[in-house]
Amino acid sequence: MCVGLPARVVSVNDGTAIIDANGAKRDVRAELLDDLEPGDYVMVHAGVAIAKISSDDEEEGSEVLGLLAI
Amino acid sequence: MNEIIEKAREIITSYDGPKVRIMEVCGTHTHEIFRLGIRSLLPENIDLISGPGCPVCVTQVGFIDEALYLALEKNCLITTFGDLIKVPGTEMNLAKARAKGANIRPVYSPDDAVNLAIENPDKDVVFLSVGFETTTPSSCLAVKRAKELGLNNFSILVANKSMPNAYQKLKGSADAFLYPGHVNAITGNGVCKQLKEEGVSGVVAGFTATELMTALAVTIEMLKKGEPFFVNCYPRVVKDEGSVFAQKLMDEVMELCDTEWRGLGMIEKSGLKLRSEYSDFDSRIKYNMPHIEGKPNPGCRCGEVLQGHCKPSDCPLFGKVCTPLHAVGACMVSDEGACSAFYQYAQ
Amino acid sequence: MENVITLAHGSGSIQTNELINGIFKSNFDNPDLTADDAAVLSLDEGKIAMSTDGFIVSPYEFPGGNIGKLAICGTVNDIACMGAKPKYLTCSYIIEEGFPVEELEKIAKSMGETARKAGVEIVAGDTKVAGKGQVDKIFITTTGVGNIVEGVNTSGAFAKPGDKIIVTGDIGRHGCTILLARNEFNIDADITSDCAPLWSNIEAVLKETKDIHVIRDATRGGVGTVLYEIAHQSNVGISLESEKIPVDPGVRGVCAMLGLEPLYLACEGRLVFFVPASEADKVLSALQSCENSEKAAIIGEVTEDNVGKVILNTAVGAKTLLSRPSGELLPRIC
Repeated sequence: MCVGLPARVVSVNDGTAIIDANGAKRDVRAELLDDLEPGDYVMVHAGVAIAKISSDDEEEGSEVLGLLAI
Repeated sequence: MNEIIEKAREIITSYDGPKVRIMEVCGTHTHEIFRLGIRSLLPENIDLISGPGCPVCVTQVGFIDEALYLALEKNCLITTFGDLIKVPGTEMNLAKARAKGANIRPVYSPDDAVNLAIENPDKDVVFLSVGFETTTPSSCLAVKRAKELGLNNFSILVANKSMPNAYQKLKGSADAFLYPGHVNAITGNGVCKQLKEEGVSGVVAGFTATELMTALAVTIEMLKKGEPFFVNCYPRVVKDEGSVFAQKLMDEVMELCDTEWRGLGMIEKSGLKLRSEYSDFDSRIKYNMPHIEGKPNPGCRCGEVLQGHCKPSDCPLFGKVCTPLHAVGACMVSDEGACSAFYQYAQ
Repeated sequence: MENVITLAHGSGSIQTNELINGIFKSNFDNPDLTADDAAVLSLDEGKIAMSTDGFIVSPYEFPGGNIGKLAICGTVNDIACMGAKPKYLTCSYIIEEGFPVEELEKIAKSMGETARKAGVEIVAGDTKVAGKGQVDKIFITTTGVGNIVEGVNTSGAFAKPGDKIIVTGDIGRHGCTILLARNEFNIDADITSDCAPLWSNIEAVLKETKDIHVIRDATRGGVGTVLYEIAHQSNVGISLESEKIPVDPGVRGVCAMLGLEPLYLACEGRLVFFVPASEADKVLSALQSCENSEKAAIIGEVTEDNVGKVILNTAVGAKTLLSRPSGELLPRIC
């Protein structure tokens, strides 16, 4: 349904942003996200930054699995 | 293998309870589960079913026929996500139309289609707009930009679909659902929480090896408890409220309509169309599109395969007229579609 | 000389001579380059390997090379894979009317340089000029021949269970470079083609051991396609360690963006070796000491079971089938 690309924001300019995924760079639309800043990590789909990413997947995984113990 | 994957793997492989059916709704989940070989880890009492969440698999034959009409009869420059190029229409697919001289261009983003319209003022550019809530905002942004620029050579052929009402149709197909992380990133978790109230269980899952294994482990643990549940296993991307901006944008540009899903039939209020304010950018209106009724191969059982009601090999076309090189049904089109995967293993 | 190629350049007239002498002869300069109808040559005794390949890459110039360099590397590497030292090449051009002479000069220059580097002589050629629109700028076909080193016997049918599979560097860079150079997807990345002549790498390996079962040049279709070819030709299975397959981060980024599999992107300077386990370390260290194969790695092995299939061992400790692409690689959202 939706391939997502985690990428770092290089620069933001008037509703668009340049993102960098391992050195592959592209202009994407950034209007969906507020307060986007260079250095933020975003999930990109079909040329649009659809969400900010707040941590890496291992950190997230240990949090989520941690919930099970309770 | 990291520690989390190991821990999750232990939970999954040691499950010895009653048989459970888990459906991954999202096509990208299907892809990653296949790529990581996760099915081969599952004990016999865990059934992982691939759901209908791939825009390719649920797109009606008639939509491809409409695109072919615009390409071949109206000489439009057709721009599309690569996924659709091999999907069969009634007579042919877009790849074959291209060989016959049609102008078909794969693009990464609908915005690139707008750019092509700007660069080629003498060409009529059509973007084939498919996808669920994750993808729909990209089409909406493209249409809004085209309107702002006053482009008169850009339009979109819309077949976007909306997940929330489709879940109603899927309700009984599984004991728990892996909800599509990137759809929830847009819609938020409201629908899934509502489904929990109706007794439907599920977790939102991400797409990396760690995320998928975690989501499956959580599902198994929660199923053991026997109560309906909802857990967001992808909190680094999915927030409860989703993307409010994207929701507003979609509502501004598109509205819900009834639509047919290949394999699932008609589902009320599960499709999208452009609002009348944007009708100048609606290919169907712009080109006075006649009603085109696609004729799927009557033998094709993709619909039942998609719902887990039959195996690919039960289909009379499987491996005979329908192979990865000559796909008849959508499940044979993408490399990890249920039929294609089954075919490649059997070879 | 005029600054673009005209139909007169292909007519056998004074202009044709000008083109041959001014551009090809000066760049290919070697004693065996013929002015007659055919080159007269001698080869050593024993078996020879011979191959031919056509090149139509668009764009004809790309980061890391151009169609000329590619045309030499492609044929040289094909011959080298049979354990043969490439000796002579012929080349045939089909050039579109209006092609800039300056560009042709650049292409011929890099052909000359690459041929010298590969130790091969360009001994004969042909030039045709096609009318505007009849070809896409420039097409080159090269044919090559060389003597097979004594005691070497490689074939795609010779892979045996237990063989180690070695790839000579990070994969998919050429395909990715061309994809970006076409600029259809507006992606920027600092990626250059892996295009390189590889006889010296194979020669270094053969100095260590001649017990090599298969060497194959992973061009069109990438390493994944080569592995399936060998699995079928040798009636064996292949087991790959997905985390050991070297991929440049930039290539990985582009692939993630477009939903492509690096194993199926073309290479033009990467070989796949199938060698007995006992020889694997020798082969690996010989390769790692050569230019263009410093990052050689063992990526898997040949199995008796799963005949005709390529099985990947994945990051979650599971096995999965490497799916085969049907037709062209397309970017996907799903």
